[in-house]
Amino acid sequence: MKILAIEDNKELASSIYDYLAHENYICELAYSASEAREKLLFYSYDCIVLDIMLPDGNGLELLNFMKSEHISGSILIVSAKGALDDKIQGLESGADDYLTKPFHLPELHARLRAIHRRKNLEGNNIVSFKEIALNTNTFELKIHGKDLDTTRKEFELLLYFLVNKNRVLSRQAIANHLWGDYTDNLSNVDFVYQHVKNLRKKINQAGGADYIDTIYGLGYKFNTH
Amino acid sequence: MKLADKFTLWFLGIILLVTPISMFTTLSNIRSRIDNSEIERLKAVNNEVAEQLRDGIAPDKYSQGRPIIILKIDKALPKSEVQVEKQRCDGATALNECRITVSSYYSINETNYQVSSYNYVTQSAHILKGMLFTAILKTMIIALIVLLTVRWVSKKILSPFNQTLNSIQKFNIKKKQPLALAETNTKEFQALNQFLKKMADKAVIEYGLVKEFSENASHELQTPLAVLRSKLELLTETDIQVNQASLIADMQNAIEKLSRINHSLLLLTKLENQEFEATSEINFTNYVQELLAIYEDRIAIKELTLTSNIDEQVYVKINPTLADMLFDNLLSNAIRHNVRNGTIHLRLNKRGIVISNTGPFPVFPTEELFQRFKKSNQCNNSVGLGLSIVKRICELNNFKVTYIYEDNLHILKVIFSEDQSIGEDKEEKEGYTDNQIVTI
Repeated sequence: MKILAIEDNKELASSIYDYLAHENYICELAYSASEAREKLLFYSYDCIVLDIMLPDGNGLELLNFMKSEHISGSILIVSAKGALDDKIQGLESGADDYLTKPFHLPELHARLRAIHRRKNLEGNNIVSFKEIALNTNTFELKIHGKDLDTTRKEFELLLYFLVNKNRVLSRQAIANHLWGDYTDNLSNVDFVYQHVKNLRKKINQAGGADYIDTIYGLGYKFNTH
Repeated sequence: MKLADKFTLWFLGIILLVTPISMFTTLSNIRSRIDNSEIERLKAVNNEVAEQLRDGIAPDKYSQGRPIIILKIDKALPKSEVQVEKQRCDGATALNECRITVSSYYSINETNYQVSSYNYVTQSAHILKGMLFTAILKTMIIALIVLLTVRWVSKKILSPFNQTLNSIQKFNIKKKQPLALAETNTKEFQALNQFLKKMADKAVIEYGLVKEFSENASHELQTPLAVLRSKLELLTETDIQVNQASLIADMQNAIEKLSRINHSLLLLTKLENQEFEATSEINFTNYVQELLAIYEDRIAIKELTLTSNIDEQVYVKINPTLADMLFDNLLSNAIRHNVRNGTIHLRLNKRGIVISNTGPFPVFPTEELFQRFKKSNQCNNSVGLGLSIVKRICELNNFKVTYIYEDNLHILKVIFSEDQSIGEDKEEKEGYTDNQIVTI
């Protein structure tokens, strides 16, 4: 997957680059709207990570620019403004998803993958790893080809792990992924723990291997090795 | 005491003080005028008699209707040519008159004469009586007119002042509207209005700047927070030791908290700026049920028992985002500040929402928890802004919110409309029987 990250903050841009490059994506960076425009005209990208507030223009203008130039690619807006209006405006202008700062890198990755799945893999909504297969359309989980009944949250959790394989996922990142805006509750650590515990138990009972490691006090990791 | 009353009293006091003084002055003036003119006249009479004597004409006993006494005196003439004598002027006699005798001395044809004439003039007591009646009448008329008109006049004169007062009372800095004051031609009020207007305009500008600052500050913080968070996440990917991991975990917790605080402050700023307009009535029941579904797993994990009594089709005029936030805060508080195996009872009807839940005894008076950063437990992992947000949302929508601790239950009530009070506790307890019990 080829990604263009348009973000004026160089440190944040480099974080995005590091994380995505590690997933073997081709990632390019643009620090300003003009730079982004140039890159968009000359190259094509599967996904574009777009910061709304840029030093030389509004990200929404770039959206309109892409529309008028018929540049394809899924767009994920990243903005410091969480206001509902901005969100709606961005999505109406043709963006595929919206993420507010400060975001978790695994979340960014999961969103990009989700957009990509929706847009490009027609009909193929299966995310699989060895004996595990997830259907992102029907929310069905199969272990060794057999259906496993899970709650929606457990399904989302497993999908999050599969997308971010071999990555340390902090409890905050998981809580944020599972409950989105409704994570004002900082005691989420317990809830995340419960969900992970239940998920491992279910996969184990269905004969699946235990891939989920606990990483010190930090969080969890889906270990493929 | 009203300003008009003060002025009236002062004015009446002046009248009462000035009237006797002016009466006394007038009386003595009139008296001396009457006396003097009579004396002048008598002098003239005496002179005329003397003239007649000089011409050798035997004068009458009366001249110009005044009795004349002519005496020949042997002694030398006194120094002053005219002597005035007043008799019975002290009001001792029944006759209300005073006798004025004027004696003039002439030397005619080597003979010294004393010519005396007298007349009666009205006594001062008599004049006083007449004056007193007029003065009392005058004072009364003035007092009456003053009393009758003062309210009206003061209302008319003070109307710009009252209008200004009214405007200030209605002035709300949060509405960002300049202070509108009525025109006036009274100099003092002009000065007052000018000053108030200047002050209000300045306050509005300053307030806007502060708001803008806090909003910008919150926004600007988001990117560094994102940098911190992402770098820490990348750090966890590297080869780290257990002790390093725990350091990173602490930092991640701190960043999480920081980002929550920032988010809440930004939200409060937006609420203060009235950026959420209530456009239409929404079905509140839907929001409540959606959120209950979202929190379902957390309620289950904490082993809480939720009983609810939710009326269908509760329509409330509120911005949808705010409806969501309001109930989110109420419910998440009820879950967070609960005890294991505790209960939450939820009741929603068209009058309002009541959430009562078990929980530890409140450390502070419950009403104080609406203040920003006031937490029942300072080391708790919460931010302490949830109830401030609840309160602000309620204020914006003219809802009434109360928080009480009663029968070991934390009871939070949000009343949508003031006129209908939400069911009393008794009614609620009865309500339990036909409750649809939702145990998850």
